[in-house]
Amino acid sequence: MKLPNGLQVVVAPDATAPVVTVGVYYKIGFRLEPQGRSGFAHLFEHMMFQGSANAPKMQHIKLINSSGGVLNGTTSYDVTNYFEAVPSNALERVLWLEADRMRALKVDDENLRNQRDVVKEEVRVNVLNQPYGGFPWLDLPPVAFRNWANAHNFYGDFTDLDAATLCDVQAFFKTYYLPNNAVLLMLGDLKPDEGFALARKHYGDIPAGPPPRFADPAEPVQTEERRGDVAEKFGTLPALAIGYTIAPRRTPDWHAMGLLEQALYGGRAGRLYRELVLEKQIAVDLSGGIDDLFGYNGPTQMITRILHKPEYSSEATLAAFDAVIHEVHHNGISSSELEQLKVKWRSDFYAMLEGSHGGSIPKFGLMHLLACLTLFDGDPQLVNSILDGFLAVKPDEVLNAARKYLRRENRAIVFRKPEAAVKEAA
Amino acid sequence: MATRPAEAVAVGVPPLAPERSVKWPKRAKSRLANGLDVILVESHSIPKFHGELFFRSGNAAVADRAPALADMTATVARTGTTRHTSRQIEETLRGLGADLGTNAGADTSAISFAGLSEFAEPLLQLVSELAREASFPEAEFERERRQKLEEVKLQRTEPGFLASERVRKVLFGAHPYAQVAPSIEQVAAYKRSDLERVYRDFYTPENGLLLLVGDFDSTEILTKIEDAFGAWSGKKPAAPQPAAPPNPRGRRVYLVHVPGAVQAQILVGSHAITRKHPDWVRLALTNALYGGAFNSRLVMNIREDKGYTYSPRSGVNPLRQHGYFSVSAAVRNDVVAASLTEIFYEMDRLRSIAVTEAELADAQHYLSGVFSMGIATQEGLLSQLSVVALNELPDDYLETYRDKVRALTPDDLMQTARKYLDSPNMQIVVVGDRAQIESQAALFGEVEGFDAQGNRF
Repeated sequence: MKLPNGLQVVVAPDATAPVVTVGVYYKIGFRLEPQGRSGFAHLFEHMMFQGSANAPKMQHIKLINSSGGVLNGTTSYDVTNYFEAVPSNALERVLWLEADRMRALKVDDENLRNQRDVVKEEVRVNVLNQPYGGFPWLDLPPVAFRNWANAHNFYGDFTDLDAATLCDVQAFFKTYYLPNNAVLLMLGDLKPDEGFALARKHYGDIPAGPPPRFADPAEPVQTEERRGDVAEKFGTLPALAIGYTIAPRRTPDWHAMGLLEQALYGGRAGRLYRELVLEKQIAVDLSGGIDDLFGYNGPTQMITRILHKPEYSSEATLAAFDAVIHEVHHNGISSSELEQLKVKWRSDFYAMLEGSHGGSIPKFGLMHLLACLTLFDGDPQLVNSILDGFLAVKPDEVLNAARKYLRRENRAIVFRKPEAAVKEAA
Repeated sequence: MATRPAEAVAVGVPPLAPERSVKWPKRAKSRLANGLDVILVESHSIPKFHGELFFRSGNAAVADRAPALADMTATVARTGTTRHTSRQIEETLRGLGADLGTNAGADTSAISFAGLSEFAEPLLQLVSELAREASFPEAEFERERRQKLEEVKLQRTEPGFLASERVRKVLFGAHPYAQVAPSIEQVAAYKRSDLERVYRDFYTPENGLLLLVGDFDSTEILTKIEDAFGAWSGKKPAAPQPAAPPNPRGRRVYLVHVPGAVQAQILVGSHAITRKHPDWVRLALTNALYGGAFNSRLVMNIREDKGYTYSPRSGVNPLRQHGYFSVSAAVRNDVVAASLTEIFYEMDRLRSIAVTEAELADAQHYLSGVFSMGIATQEGLLSQLSVVALNELPDDYLETYRDKVRALTPDDLMQTARKYLDSPNMQIVVVGDRAQIESQAALFGEVEGFDAQGNRF
């Protein structure tokens, strides 16, 4: 359903448990934050918990927790989401709270100073004071991409965070936090009519705004491999990350890449883990894949993250990695292996739908999928056919996708070497 | 500290609708002739099932041989059986759409798995094979040991690990619970025969508990379980009963020095209780109000008011024989003393001033609401049921938990805080750059210093 102000509303009923999950997704993420304000989309997400016209600071969190529920928000490349899981008798209260902050954010300088401090500690605990902090999700984009939208530090340079003002906050809110740039989702123990009626009641009078203009995230054509180095301050092992830029969502190549991802990274049976960790025993840890397969709306990569034994050079490790890719280029994936991959893909898909943000938000995965299909494709009903697209992939499509995307001139590599080892070598 | 204006309240909040009842699903409990306990719960939310095969022995039971030996045993147990190689096992799992993990904690070893309902039978057969016929191939063992060596080195660069390792040593002394991870030398000394012995002793049906939650018919799946596990036999191993560790008195400070750290990891702890203890629910509620929820006093104070930290939290950590209460916060280097002051202030406030009825009700709603959310997913249910079964809690534990939470009074909370939020006897661990934090930490007690390898300085 779409309200006259442009807010899209999606209800997915399921009365298994007396719990509802509510999500509000705004079509604004890291890519679109203003230049000179790196980290702003995420800082702004924090500000959305700092008070609205009728629910001052601390009240939003307090009202959700004291209704027996949990809440959070996350910022990603192309969307920012806010979500709650509550006993179903608190549905209207949650909708009221989300509507209040969509209608009128009410924050002051003290709130901004407070959350700037909190965000800096978040960056320290996740990046600056951790071994391999930010590796590779903050390390790869500046090496891989040329367009600032895709290449900048999404967590934010501290100087940029310090430069953010209350005016920036209000301007960002007015530009992007509009009903016509959002989707409201309700999943679980409610009836569709009940959900739509409550949406009309609480969101119907929020005024629409001019549709936001989005910067073009397109990248210039890449013609050669890109490499970069980042010093590792705490960790003991050399590491590298390899990212290949991949196909846009909802294209035949995207489906093939989804299966190729399963072939390369599917746990201990995945080709890369098997070869580099189990067989050749060069790597100590290897993981990777396409980050947020359903939720990107601009250039994105399939990334491999490798921590390897110090007695192997980075180049030897990379050569072992390349041998696995070379094998796929030559022989592709057999139809019997592809059938196995599809079984696992289907199983993972079901788990994703039910799955929960760190175990706390039932149906988080279904919510995320519905939100992205609504915001990017305008049709949440696509959820019913999404699996079919992946299960229909043929062996030659996987082979073609591997040859098209897993090329050296389509990749970027970041080497993260322990500082101690670099000093010794010097 | 400037006085803050009275908290502004929200205006026009819709009231809660009448509560809809929470119906916990039926548990089918049985015991096979060989002693294996089986608990089955149907949940048809997705065409999958989740399971866990527990053995009621873990690292603590073999701590006299080496730290984390049961965990190493679990790691290698999936790498080969008398009938299948590591690669065959992994590819079979993939073809069944299954995930499988093996691990051990202090008190249990476990094989956890999830897969498509249509392939329940072959997955159960494979789990049974791993539990009965693991062959610990020499080459696989060597590889895993070599990998473990690197992991052990790497752990010592993580502030969170260094803090939790130190707090366990401080609280549990000579008790096996003090051992969190092996040293490099201890990993180098692991022998394949040590693992085989642990496997032989621990992985038996009498020591086992199989829990399945998911989209199946309980009667049909029980037949498949009997097929897969019925012919297995083995006794329950003797469980060592180590002496209770002394409860440290008086605050002391343990500083773990990480040169160049740009933040300080605080972890404060004291002895508490096990899951079976009659005070468990009281302490759970007291903890939710203190620092266990986003809306808790500690989070509101040192995050939302003062901005010292991103993710402060407190928790009760139950082990089988003992438990401990802990508070953690990664804070800016210059506010270590200020953060500790607030951590103790919030404990002392709960110990000396009764909470209001309104604040109590908020916390009660929170805890009972979150508890019943476990019902909404197969994984959530599995986790709730395993807590009940492994701790031998009463059969009606899930059904009566919320009533127990709601029956508590402000005085119950104050008494509980006095007993377990034992502010004068909290042990304080701080991980960070010594030059930045030592003088601040010393305000709270005598400082004992360590490097990241655990050596005193």
